[in-house]
Formats: sequence, C-alpha cells, structure tokens
Amino acid sequence: MAFLALRSLSKVFGDFAAVRDVDLGVEKGEFVSLLGPSGCGKTTTLQMIAGLAEPTAGTILLDGRDITNEKPNKRGLGIVFQSYALFPHMSVAENVAFGLEMRGVNRAEREARVKAMLQLVRLSEMAERYPRQLSGGQRQRVAIARALVIAPPVLLLDEPLSNLDAKLREEMQFELSRIQRSTGTTTIMVTHDQSEALSISDRVVVMEAGRMTQIDAPFHLYENPANAFISSFVGKMNRLEGQMRGGAAVIAGITLPCAPAGLSEGTAATFTIRPEKIALCAAGQGLIDGTITSRFFLGNTWLMQVETLAGSLAVSLPNQGEEPPRPGSPVALDWPASALRVEEGG
Amino acid sequence: MLKNGPVSLLFHSLVVGFVLAPLVVICLVAFTPENTLSMPKFLTPWNGFSLRWFRAIFEHPDFTASFWNSLLLATLSASIAVALSVPAALAIDRMEFPGRASLNALFLSPLIIPHLVLGVAFLRLFALIGATGSFPWLVASHVIIITPYVLRLVLAALSGFDRSIEAAALTLGAGPGTVFRRVTAPMILPGITGGWLLAFINSFDELTMSIFVTSPQTVTLPVRMYMYATESIDPMMAAVSALMIALTAIAMLVLDRAFGLDKILVGQK
Ligand SMILES: Nc1ncnc2c1ncn2[C@@H]1O[C@H](COP(=O)(O)OP(=O)(O)OP(=O)(O)O)[C@@H](O)[C@H]1O
Ligand SMILES: [Mg+2]
Repeated sequence: MAFLALRSLSKVFGDFAAVRDVDLGVEKGEFVSLLGPSGCGKTTTLQMIAGLAEPTAGTILLDGRDITNEKPNKRGLGIVFQSYALFPHMSVAENVAFGLEMRGVNRAEREARVKAMLQLVRLSEMAERYPRQLSGGQRQRVAIARALVIAPPVLLLDEPLSNLDAKLREEMQFELSRIQRSTGTTTIMVTHDQSEALSISDRVVVMEAGRMTQIDAPFHLYENPANAFISSFVGKMNRLEGQMRGGAAVIAGITLPCAPAGLSEGTAATFTIRPEKIALCAAGQGLIDGTITSRFFLGNTWLMQVETLAGSLAVSLPNQGEEPPRPGSPVALDWPASALRVEEGG
Repeated sequence: MLKNGPVSLLFHSLVVGFVLAPLVVICLVAFTPENTLSMPKFLTPWNGFSLRWFRAIFEHPDFTASFWNSLLLATLSASIAVALSVPAALAIDRMEFPGRASLNALFLSPLIIPHLVLGVAFLRLFALIGATGSFPWLVASHVIIITPYVLRLVLAALSGFDRSIEAAALTLGAGPGTVFRRVTAPMILPGITGGWLLAFINSFDELTMSIFVTSPQTVTLPVRMYMYATESIDPMMAAVSALMIALTAIAMLVLDRAFGLDKILVGQK
C-alpha cells in the first residue's frame, strides 16, 4: 500500500468543484509533481493533504493511518508555500528552528540540527540575516530548510520555483532534487511548468479541471500522452487531421507512414508527431515536400515552421553548428513510421 | 531617491516652519519674566530669561494632580482600546459573519459624532446611572472616542497580511494561540503600537467631551488648563505647554532609542 494515499478526494466551494474524486498513491521516498494549468485544483489538493483545507469528501491515508480530520499542527508535514511565507521578524536560524521549538527539542540539539540543515541548503553564512536581506533563491532555500528540519514524512511544495528567474530556477531545480535525494523525503510538488515537472520528478500527475487525468513517469508521459490536452500541454505537438487507410495515415490526400493503430479502415483520426522527431532533408528526398516559413534560433535548437501539403508542421532541430536553410527554401521532411501516431482519447 | 527641486524644498520648509512656529513661540514665551504673554528679551540673555512660570506650576498642586490624572487616564484608556481593537479587527478582517460591516461602522462611529454631542450625552447618561464624576466611567468614555484610531491602524496592519505565514507556523506544529503570540502579534505590532500612541495622545489631549464628564476630583490637564485660561491669561499656560512638548519629545526620543520609531510605527520592510 502506498505511503501517502488519496482516496476519492473532493473539494467543493459553493457549487464549484475545485477537486473531483481524486485518487493517488505516493510511495515512500518518491518525488511526485502535480502538473496542470492555473485553477485546475493543484493548490487545493496540496492544502487538503496539509490539513489547511477540509475535504468535502474522501480520505487521506498516511502510512496506513487516516489523517483526513487531523489538525494541520498535528500532521507534522513540511510545506513550502509559493510566497515562501517566512517569518519576517525572525532571523534565518530562528525561522528554521521554529518547528523544532514547537516540538520541544532542547536548545543544544536545536542548534545542531538547524546548523546541519542550513549546511544542506548551503546557507550557513546567512544564519543571522533576516528574510528581507535575502535573495529570492535564498529565501526559497530557507523555506525548504524550515520545512525539512522537522524531518517530515512528506514534503509539500507549492510552485516553489515560480518566483525565480529562468537561470536561478534551473539551478534550484537541481538543488531541490539534490536535497530531496539526500534526505529521501517523500515529496509532492505543485507546478504549472511542464519542463520542471519532467526534469525532477519520479512521476508526474497531470490535473485538468479538478481531475487527475494521467499519472506516469516523465518519459512515458511525454511519449504517451493520454489525451489531446496533455499532448499539447506537455511539450510541443504537431496535430494533423486525416484517416487510417491500409495501415498508413492519409492526410489531405497524401499517404504517410505511421505507427500501427487498432483502427478500422477509413476511420477519421487525429495524428500527432513531436517537432524533434522530424528530420529536415533536401527537397524530394523525404516523405513530404514543403517550404520553410519561419525559423527561430533558441540556442541549443532551431525551431522551424514548414508549410506542406498536409499542413504546417513545427520542426525542432538540434543546433549542430551549422545554419539550417532560410525561410522560403524548399525542403523535405522525414520521420520514422513510429513517430507519427494516432492520438489517444480523442 | 528623488531629489527635491528648489521650489519643493522651499515649500516643504514653509510647511515645516508653519507647523513648528507656534511651538517655538510658546516655548520662548514660557521663559518670560513678565506677567504677560510676551517674548523674553533676547538682547539681555541672562536676566531676560526666567524660570518663574515653571516654578509657578508646582505651586499649583491641582495642576500636578491633573497631570497625573490625565496620564493615568490616557494610559488606561489607550490600553483598553488596544485590548478591544485587536480581537475586533481580527474578526472584521478575517471572519465572515452577518453584521460584519455594521460592526465595523459601529466601532468607527465615534469619529463622526462631534465630541460636544458625546459630552452632553455622557453627562446625561452618567447622571442617569449615578456615575457622575466616577473615574472608571471617564475611562470608558475615553475608550469609546479613541478606539476608532486603534481599530483603523490594526485593520490597516492586517490588510496586507500574508495568511500563508500563519499557515506555515500552524503546519510546523504551533497551536492557534502560539501562532497568534509568535507570528501574528509580532507582525502587526507596528499597527498596535502606532494605534496605542495615537489613542494615548488623543485621550491626553481631549478637551471638548472631558469638560462635560469630569468632576472636580477627575479634572484632566486640558480641562484644568482651559478653566485656568478662562480666568487669567498669564505665562504659566505657556510653561505648562512647554513642559508637555518637552515630555512628548523625550518620550519619542526614548522610544526611538529603545525600539526605533520607524520600526514600530512604519513596520520593518
Ligand atoms: N476559497 C475558495 N472559494 C471559492 N473558490 C475557490 C477557493 N479557493 C480556490 N477556489 C477555486 O478552485 C479552483 C482551484 O484553485 P487552486 O488554487 O487549487 O488552483 P491551482 O491549480 O493551484 O491554480 P494556480 O496554478 O493558479 O495556483 C480555482 O478555480 C479557484 O477559483
Ligand atoms: Mg496554486
């Protein structure tokens, strides 16, 4: 049985269901992300686990124990809020020591544990500073230290990185993952950033309008999105309308090789292909000819838009030190048959 | 930082000058050796200044008694107003209950009723319940007129409050009482101290209503000064005023040294 289990959990505000009948099991030591667009109920789910919001229905089990009605101050879970919620009138060390103090840990042990925790988040030099004297990334680490020092069975993070700039954010993703692995704390992180969810989690839970629609390991999720929403929310996706004929896709009258699908002859279907799975080659040498309409340089990749008879396709090319053809150039596109797939669920 | 241009500098100096001028004048007049409210003679510094009017204050024991009375009254009523306002502000800011807006309006209503009207009303009320001249009822009347100031400031301190900070304390194992004591109260302390000071000053200063509700045993300093001034205009009034200005300045200075005035009044940002 899962270490933390949500059973048919729901939360209704008035006549609006923010979280609907959610089931989730998180294993001990696992890092799970809740991924979804704004307003889909991620924070509400996290707050119910923390005890800060009362579920309308359902149960929450921690290590087999029903904690659904337990007060938040008795649950002992660690939480990092989006705004960090540091105590502004306490120094970094006092912030981190707060949870230990509440548990009646004696002074000597408190100081030792705070010191060790600040070392873990690399803030030993900042112990005497106040939150207002810290940068965003440092505050975030204080918030993590404060939550982790009480050795919580579960760490809950609500968009911990969303206030940081891109560079710092990447660093902190790495840092977060390092801290999580070194403490082995079961972690649930809320995010609306798909790359963040994919990069640091063991499993990703996709939420849409209060429901959990897919729960999968990052690679499997990316390769096998369960529905149209997930396929375009997680990564980029080209989508083409067509039919299945003789085991191949027929799109705007053009026959293209595709992955086998259990569809009967002539069924209308939506075909999908990831931009990075398409290769660019000389006109006449690929599966379909087209013209480049735009190209964007993203540093490590080039993102091109190619107009073909089957429709406009986004193509992502790794930057290998050579400039690809300019807009207006005729090109052809190629891909392995397994890359073009019939979209699931829809 | 924005630099002040010459025009705005002049404007600000004029405003500050306008505010300070009467205080400077009254302090100078307090040192006059004459019997009238005249400036001491600057040209003869050593015999132009005199402390006789300061000495005169202490020859009027009723003034010192009124001073202590006012001090006690203002301290008590400001403290009671704070004790009432903090829970009221918390309820008004955070709870949804019927009559929330009316409660807010009720607490603020003394601000819009003229003190003269309140004075007459209290006079009648105290006569009816047989409380004329009672010190506790004087305190109660002051609490009523100064509570709006405290409530306003505490509400303002609560309005920008990030509730997730309290949630964080709660999840770290603090019970609701501890959360208030260790987190909420320290964070709204600038509002509370600012409100207390404002209430104290308003109570200490209050004349219009107090004229009606004080009795010979509970005369406050402003009422005493008013009664004295209606009978005789002599520089002793200036000396009393100068002493009060000095006391206030010293109190502010001590507060600033001890806590930092900008910290308790503006909050640490
Ligand atoms: N106290 C409340 N009363 C009424 N509706 C609420 C309340 N709290 C949240 N909601 C609604 O519930 C839905 C889910 O809110 P929630 O905060 O969980 O979203 P979220 O997924 O965390 O979004 P975001 O990414 O923007 O933080 C939203 O539509 C929100 O408007
Ligand atoms: Mg949220």
